[in-house]
Amino acid sequence: MSEKSATPRMKTDNIHRQWSRFKYPNSLINYCILFSILLFFTFSVHYLNIPLERILGMFGRLGDVLANRYYPPDIDYIIDKGYLAAVIETVQMAYLGALFGLLFAIILGWFAAHNVSPSKTFIYPVARLIAMGCRSVHEMIWAILFVTILGFGLLPGVLALTMFSIGFAGKLFAEEIESIDMGEVEAIRAMGGTHLQVFIFGVIPQVRVAFTGIAIYTWDVAFRAATVVGFVGAGGMGWYLKRNIMQIETERTAAILLSIIVLVVISEFISAWARTKVSNAK
Amino acid sequence: MQDKTTALKLNDVIGLRRKKQFVQLGFVSLLIGLVLWSIQATIIDDTDWERIGTLSEIGESVSHFVGIDFELIPSLLGPTIETFMIACIGTLIGLLMCIPVIWFGALNVTPFKPVTYPLARVAMTLSRSIHEIVWALIFVSAVGLGAFAGILAIAARSLGFIAKMSAEAIENIDPKPVEAIRAMGGNNLQVMIYAILPQVLPVILGIVIFEWEINIRRSSVLGLVGAGGLGLVFFRQMNTFNYPGVTTVILAILALILIGEVVSHYARKAMI
Repeated sequence: MSEKSATPRMKTDNIHRQWSRFKYPNSLINYCILFSILLFFTFSVHYLNIPLERILGMFGRLGDVLANRYYPPDIDYIIDKGYLAAVIETVQMAYLGALFGLLFAIILGWFAAHNVSPSKTFIYPVARLIAMGCRSVHEMIWAILFVTILGFGLLPGVLALTMFSIGFAGKLFAEEIESIDMGEVEAIRAMGGTHLQVFIFGVIPQVRVAFTGIAIYTWDVAFRAATVVGFVGAGGMGWYLKRNIMQIETERTAAILLSIIVLVVISEFISAWARTKVSNAK
Repeated sequence: MQDKTTALKLNDVIGLRRKKQFVQLGFVSLLIGLVLWSIQATIIDDTDWERIGTLSEIGESVSHFVGIDFELIPSLLGPTIETFMIACIGTLIGLLMCIPVIWFGALNVTPFKPVTYPLARVAMTLSRSIHEIVWALIFVSAVGLGAFAGILAIAARSLGFIAKMSAEAIENIDPKPVEAIRAMGGNNLQVMIYAILPQVLPVILGIVIFEWEINIRRSSVLGLVGAGGLGLVFFRQMNTFNYPGVTTVILAILALILIGEVVSHYARKAMI
């Protein structure tokens, strides 16, 4: 009854309503939000003492600094044997860190995926918390902590990258598992399969290709992080960077930065190539 | 005749499978070899096991970190707000700087394809491949210590991701509104404002909020190279060996990131 009477009234309302670009309550709220965001930005510029007028002049200054101090990069320094050994160490560190991280991340992703987690009340929230904790703490902070506990060297670097990769890949894995087709999982559950069997026979075959892509991407990102974790003493090229910055050897620093950029771009190309190859092989 | 062909096919199939298995075996053994080599080099040779000591000694060094330094908490408020603001302004400046990069980098709107498109792609790759610490180092040497260098580092680092995702969003738009505006005699700017922008604005805002969330994490370490915020406090606590203070700073970073995650979750929900 009420529905019938409501329909014609709504129709007449629609006819008589004037079109307006601003709808009263919504537009007011939206503009208030926009205004407060702008206010916040102005306040923070003031609070942080940012010389906004210097932003445009900054590019010129940056160019000056690069041209005068950093310009001829000391290429001899980076094709030195010691430095090249550090580069190889960095690659090894990233490789091992990503590998260990991925091994943990597969289990963590399984536990942290809402649809196949063995226990929704206990394991699922704990796994989510671990993934978030690993992801939230920046890799540099992990590196500092491990260096403090274990001393200088490559091992703390590997462990820092492991923690970083667990957080990074764990979340992606969990999201990937949450979007699988539940039919196969239910089939194995109906056959009386245990949680492990469900994971091995129901989940893994569906996510194998996506996992490989994520794994390659994780390696790429871990390498990017590995180039700088040495900055706090965790081994690899970062240590050379730190040393030369401390000694104000700007031309050597420029060469090292250049080598980092080149290596990261190469690793990104390799990873992109491998990922397209994996997704084509599907 | 038929038997012969099937036999041949069978042999082919077996041969192919053997070959595939062989390649897989080689690949796996290569991977295992690489792992062993890396373990040999990093964990066995390079580690000073005497410095690390026994498990109980490691436990002892870890136990130094247990506890919270309550006296530090009031002095953390300022740097926490600073970190948050660095992330916000850095994201905003990054967004402003990437407008031309998005325009050049989207294949369907780039003004002069052979020059501007590769230029934008190079800018995106460079920005994404350089770590934020390295960006901060570059900007600290250009504009001096302080929050300004951190903001520029955050902006430079987030430019690539925002520009790449936004350019992809522009490449995937519905071309009909563009044609409609063109047919009405609109020029390129009008096409941009009335046909492209309304379609991609929600996507770009979602990307920006996602990047803002990551930027909070990044800005928490920029203090390590002198760019202000919580990282500076962290470094100071570390250098004075105040380990409970270190734990406190890490908890503050976690709380800030949690807030950022909640805000970004609701903001993205509100926009969709």
